[in-house]
Amino acid sequence: MDLVQLQRQFVDYKTSLYHEGFLDEQFTQLQELQDENNPDFVVEVVSLFFEDSERLLNELARALEQQNIDYKRIDAHVHQLKGSSSSIGAQRVQKVCIAFRNYCEEQNVEGCLKCLQQVRHEYSLVKTKLESLFQLEQQILTAGGSFPM
Amino acid sequence: MELMKSENIVQDRQPQPQEEEEIMQQEEEEEQRFHVLAVDDSVIDRKLLEKLLKASSYQVTCVESGEKALEYLGLLHHSSPASSSSSQHHHQGHKVNLIMTDFSMPGTSGYDLLKRIKGSSWKDVPVVVMSSENVPSRISMCLEGGAEEFMLKPLQLSDLHKIQAHLLKSLPHS
Repeated sequence: MDLVQLQRQFVDYKTSLYHEGFLDEQFTQLQELQDENNPDFVVEVVSLFFEDSERLLNELARALEQQNIDYKRIDAHVHQLKGSSSSIGAQRVQKVCIAFRNYCEEQNVEGCLKCLQQVRHEYSLVKTKLESLFQLEQQILTAGGSFPM
Repeated sequence: MELMKSENIVQDRQPQPQEEEEIMQQEEEEEQRFHVLAVDDSVIDRKLLEKLLKASSYQVTCVESGEKALEYLGLLHHSSPASSSSSQHHHQGHKVNLIMTDFSMPGTSGYDLLKRIKGSSWKDVPVVVMSSENVPSRISMCLEGGAEEFMLKPLQLSDLHKIQAHLLKSLPHS
């Protein structure tokens, strides 16, 4: 694929991610912070998000398996996940976290388990999409293109 | 033995007068920049805040908890505001012009930190409290507790302009 086609694909893909609610304005803010001094800033922050989220999702699964569920602890983890997803613009993940916290407050184990499943799903979707986006970016750079376009 | 040679290396590499001047200039410039102490238990938010602040030409020190912040300010083991260091607003030679702290942190919360700071020799340093939750009672509690400003996360570059106004306020009058 030539550079122009790659760039077109990149723009279309990125637009669709915003359109489908996977990313919001905060992601744009992240990109605006990236500069020549920190050319990998967005990838770095997103990688931190991936690591942190995976840790939190594991903690959540473990916490929900307990005999006596500690809802305060679960809420604390979901609060963290909500915060970090909001900080990088992962809107759909953030939205599930809001519902998750409501079920925590109600001490509704069924609701919590459903939300855990949902948040896992949304997380894995946004992870895949961001990785594809970064890959496209890399292809453009390799083909001699630059950012911003 | 070969290791002894390192002495020669140090001796040979004396900074030239020109370089010395450059180093001094750099240190002076650093001293002139505002220094912000940023407190947040989220590694992502720390990275973001650091970048936002650096992009606005501030010097930044990030710590991951209220306890670490108190430690940095020399307040951890003292119950009284008296401090052994020479002047206000200085820690090991570094000034602190502004403290930005997250509200919800395990252990010492942002509010706890705010109260400790306001009851210490650092009380004149502006403190900004940040939170991802827009809770009016929380906001008034922090403002009444002496916070300069309460900001909603995630912070954006435009929010940094508000910060600048507070920093300029903290400059000594001539």
